[in-house]
Order: sequence, then structure tokens, then C-alpha cells
Amino acid sequence: MEVQKEAQRIMTLSVWKMYHSRMQRGGLRLHRSLQLSLVMRSARELYLSAKVEALEPEVSLPPACPSDPRLHPPREVESTVETATADGEQPSPEPMDTQEAPTAEEIPAYSAPRPAKVSRKRRSSSLRDGGDAGLVPSKKARLEEKEEEEGLSSEVADRLQPPPAQAEGAFPNLARVLQRRFSGLLNCSPAAPPTAPPACEAKPACRPADSMLNVLVRTVVAF
Amino acid sequence: MKCFSRYLPYIFRPANTILSSSCHTEADIISTVEFNHTGELLATGDKGGRVVIFQREQESKNQIHRRGEYNVYSTFQSHEPEFDYLKSLEIEEKINKIRWLPQQNAAYFLLSTNDKTVKLWKVSERDKRPEGYNLKDEEGRLRDPATITTLRVPVLRPMDLMVEATPRRVFANAHTYHINSISVNSDYETYMSADDLRINLWNFEITNQSFNIVDIKPANMEELTEVITAAEFHPHHCNTFVYSSSKGTIRLCDMRASALCDRHTKFFEEPEDPSNRSFFSEIISSISDVKFSHSGRYIMTRDYLTVKVWDLNMENRPIETYQVHDYLRSKLCSLYENDCIFDKFECVWNGSDSVIMTGSYNNFFRMFDRNTKRDVTLEASRENSKPRAILKPRKVCVGGKRRKDEISVDSLDFSKKILHTAWHPSENIIAVAATNNLYIFQDKVN
Repeated sequence: MEVQKEAQRIMTLSVWKMYHSRMQRGGLRLHRSLQLSLVMRSARELYLSAKVEALEPEVSLPPACPSDPRLHPPREVESTVETATADGEQPSPEPMDTQEAPTAEEIPAYSAPRPAKVSRKRRSSSLRDGGDAGLVPSKKARLEEKEEEEGLSSEVADRLQPPPAQAEGAFPNLARVLQRRFSGLLNCSPAAPPTAPPACEAKPACRPADSMLNVLVRTVVAF
Repeated sequence: MKCFSRYLPYIFRPANTILSSSCHTEADIISTVEFNHTGELLATGDKGGRVVIFQREQESKNQIHRRGEYNVYSTFQSHEPEFDYLKSLEIEEKINKIRWLPQQNAAYFLLSTNDKTVKLWKVSERDKRPEGYNLKDEEGRLRDPATITTLRVPVLRPMDLMVEATPRRVFANAHTYHINSISVNSDYETYMSADDLRINLWNFEITNQSFNIVDIKPANMEELTEVITAAEFHPHHCNTFVYSSSKGTIRLCDMRASALCDRHTKFFEEPEDPSNRSFFSEIISSISDVKFSHSGRYIMTRDYLTVKVWDLNMENRPIETYQVHDYLRSKLCSLYENDCIFDKFECVWNGSDSVIMTGSYNNFFRMFDRNTKRDVTLEASRENSKPRAILKPRKVCVGGKRRKDEISVDSLDFSKKILHTAWHPSENIIAVAATNNLYIFQDKVN
């Protein structure tokens, strides 16, 4: 558990550093971004392996989560992950499905070719090309529902975002992804850190970091 | 170790630094230090884009004790902040590297670079000026031709020494990523500039084109696993250069093999010690600096915790490994939080390749004698740098009872870091940059 907490803390810290590095003079540094992504990947692997070892039951959406629209990011993040996928980026590494227990096969999913059998989400993305409309319409419907909530959180995101002219820069894909995702992560973190992020407690709200970080880890090197 | 048993420290600061030990601007932070080939000149670059050149005083019979003092010779603004409108990115004016060209005439030439642009500067002295023009008066105004009745030849008359720096070449628009290294070739006709993914070869006379000799950018950027961190030409073989990577590897390339040196001639990598494997192993294994020895036989690399010496004839492991501050190995998580783990330390050889030096935290710097295997930790600070003072070796207490004069690991000031150092090419004179202060130490053995 401690290992998981520490891994989560490192992941949150890394994401914060990645976001902060966009604000510095001179723009994103490729070497720094690569190093941060490596740490995020290591933290993710450690987190997942610790989870496997602990054999924790999967936690569904937290019952203690109030119905504050800003705390809807768990769903919003997953839906926006799919939006990013639909934007033409490569399919993100498979996030842990809430119903399935994580297996050792999925841990190296970031770097290894992803099997198509693991979860519904992957199957739907792979079948999208095949034209299977059975799953896609339901996903689209969910996206439409969540756009309102995205709009509510966009106010928070706008305060955090630099002007679009600055946000693009040399790495537009990363900038766009971070703009969409990071507001959700900040909302689920205990506090938006002005200087250093606090330790991320084992709140269920941190759970969605799995899927977000999969995207973030990949988009770090996608620019 | 006899070297640096006695010291005559001098402290120099950039001309516009506020004269308070605790207050300085970001622009004053020194970002590079380099002696020229004779050691007569010492150049520093700072984050504000300025270059300050110090010159060693000439030996004088009357003031023999002043031999070795470095005084400000020239100051100029090398780079200005720029804005890339296409990418909406600000380009920092910080000077990343300075490299001197060998002196071929009365003027001095150096290369300075920021993240995107390399410039060739000519630094020359003017101590005479022409007087007695026919068409101009003494103030330079044109004279009325009707008043000119005689013809005279202008003569050169002495004037106060003036040192002027002029940009002779600007090598721009060749790097998509941030330049981390420049290196002058031993043919003195070409040099290379390296960014995160590419290395370009330039001719000093041609500014509008360069040859790309290394390109490690993958077709799919998602497959990026390493970047170039430093590069240097061999000191004698104009066809050979090395570049280091963020994965802790060094590649030696021969430009005679092919135009694009993507395939290395030699590959230097040490297998990772599994017992040292940690969460941040990949970060601390990244090489921050690579330097050929003066002999050209060895290369030295600096990663976060160690300095390694490699023999060019042996690729599978370094011949020597020196622990710079191994007590930080257990603090890597904290160092990641405060960003210190990303610091890029440089390393230098002395003139005879017998001693190597690198910086650390708390304004400490370390020297390792390769022959005797002795090492010493010294501190660059105002309190310890009074004239004719002797630098006392410092020691970091890693555990147990702390002795007097030792400092514990937890008391180290990580904001005081020595990233840039330089060693005189032939004498035991070192320059150490500590934030915005430049310390010059000299070994005086009577």
C-alpha cells in the first residue's frame, strides 16, 4: 500500500512537473520531458505491480465522491481519453478496466504491442476500423452527456491554461492533450500546488490517473 | 595530493552584479566557463546572454606577485532574447557553451551559442587611431573642400586600449531542438553543434548551410527513447567525434565511414549494476558532459553521481569510476522533487590528464587524482576565499557521529551548485562558477 501511495505521489508530481515545464522560458525541453515520462512510466509500472501483489479488489466509482461536477473527472478523463484516440492519435495503452483484475500481461502494456483481448475499450477501438457500430454509438452518447460537465470544468481549465498561442508551440499534440487532461487531474488532486505538489493520498479520485497517465506518458514523447 | 595544497583565490563577479552576497538576478547566473588554448583568456557566459572575458596579467618584474591575476578584458552582449513567431516560443538568451578558436593572428575568436543560434565573435584590441584626415576634422565632421589647401597622410597615434567584440558570423536556423554542445574541430575549419536529436557540421565561412552528420530522431516520436546530451570532436583526429546520450552511452563516430554517422564506430556502455537499480536509475544514468583527454586516448563522462574515465580501446566498461557524491543516492526522491536530479554537471581534465575535476552541491567541487587515487572536496565560498588563504578540504558526514568541520548531508545547500568549471590548459589554475560568482584558484607552491 505504501508502495502504491508513493508511486501515485511520484506520478502526480511528474505530471505537475510536465505541466509546469510548459510555462518556462524557452519552451518544452525534450530531454526533461523524456526523463519525466520515464519516471512516470516507472511509477506506473510500480503502481500496477504493487496492485497485483496486493491483489486488491477493483474499486468502482467512489461512493464518497460528491456530485460536484469538478470531481466528475474520473468519467470525464476516460471519455476524453477516447476523444484523444478519436483525434487520430494512436490508441492509448489500455487503462485498467474497473471490472477486471489487473494481470501481469497488462503491466508492460505501455511499451509492448497491446493484445486485443483485454477489455471492452480496446476491442471497441480496434473494431472501429472494422465498422462495428454496436459499441460506438453508446460511447458517443456518453461523450455527449459529458460535454456539459466538460464545459463546467473548462472554466477551471481556462484559468490554468496559457493563451492558445503559447500553448501550442513546438509540441502541439502534447499541449492540446495537457490542456484537456490536466484540469481533470488537478481537480482530482488534493490541491493545485503553487510550488510543490502535496503527497497524493490514496483517494479513489486518484484512480483515474491510470488512464490519464497512460495518455500523458505516451503524449510526452509523441511531440 | 600536492596540487592545490596552497591557494591564492580571487573572486570575480560580473560587472553588473549587485554587491550583496545574497542578492543577484537570474541573468547574472554563470552558465559556461572556458579557458582559451593558451590560458591567457577566460570567457564566461551567463543567463542574460552576456559574455565576459578575463585576461591574465602579464608577468612583471615590479609586481611579480600579481602574476596570474585575471582582470576583465571585454564584456559584450552575445545573444538577445528572441521570439519564434511560428512556434510561439521564446528563445532564451542564455549562453549554453563558449568555445575558443586557436589564435591565428592578433585577434581572438570564440564561438558562443544559445539554444538555437551559434555566433562567431572576433575580439580585437585597438590601441591606435588614425589622425590627420584630409576630408574630415578631428571630430569626424566633413570639412569644407574650399578650405583644404594641402594634402596630408593620416598617421596612427596611440590611444587608450579599447577592446571591441564584433560578431563575424551568425549560424542560425539549423536546429529544431535545443543546442547543448558546440565543438571546434582540430582542422580549425569546421565545428559541430549538437541538439537533442541532431548534430550538424559547419564550416566557419559558410553560415547558410550545414551538414547533418547525426540524426537520431525516430520516424515516430512516440518511439523516442534517448536524446543526445553532449558531443565533442577528437582533439587530434579531425574525422572522429563522440556524443553521449541520456541512456548513459557514448558513441564514437568516424566521418570517413559515411556522410550520416548514424551508425557508430564504437559504442561505450557499462552494464547496469542490478543492486543499484532504483526508481530514478534512468535519470541518474544520463550523461551530462563528455570530454576527451588532451592526449585523445581517453574520454571522461559525467552522470549525476559519478565521473567515469573510458579508454577508447575498451568499450564494455570504463577504466575508472569516481563517486562524486554517492551520499545522494538515498536522497534521489527528494532531489527529484526539488528538480536537482536534473542538474547537468560538467567535468574537466587538467593539462596533463592526471587530475579530473567536477562540481557538486553546497558550492563544493571535487578533484580526483588518477595516479594516486586520492580525492579532495573543496568549497568555493567568500568566507573561505580570502587572499592568500588555503582552501581547506571539506568532508560530508554520511552517518554516525559528525566530526568537527564536517557537514551532514541534510545540511547541504542544494541551491548552491557548481555546474561549470574550467582548468587552465597548462598550469594549475582553475575557474569555478558558483551561481553568479566566478572563483579563480591557483596553486602556488613555493
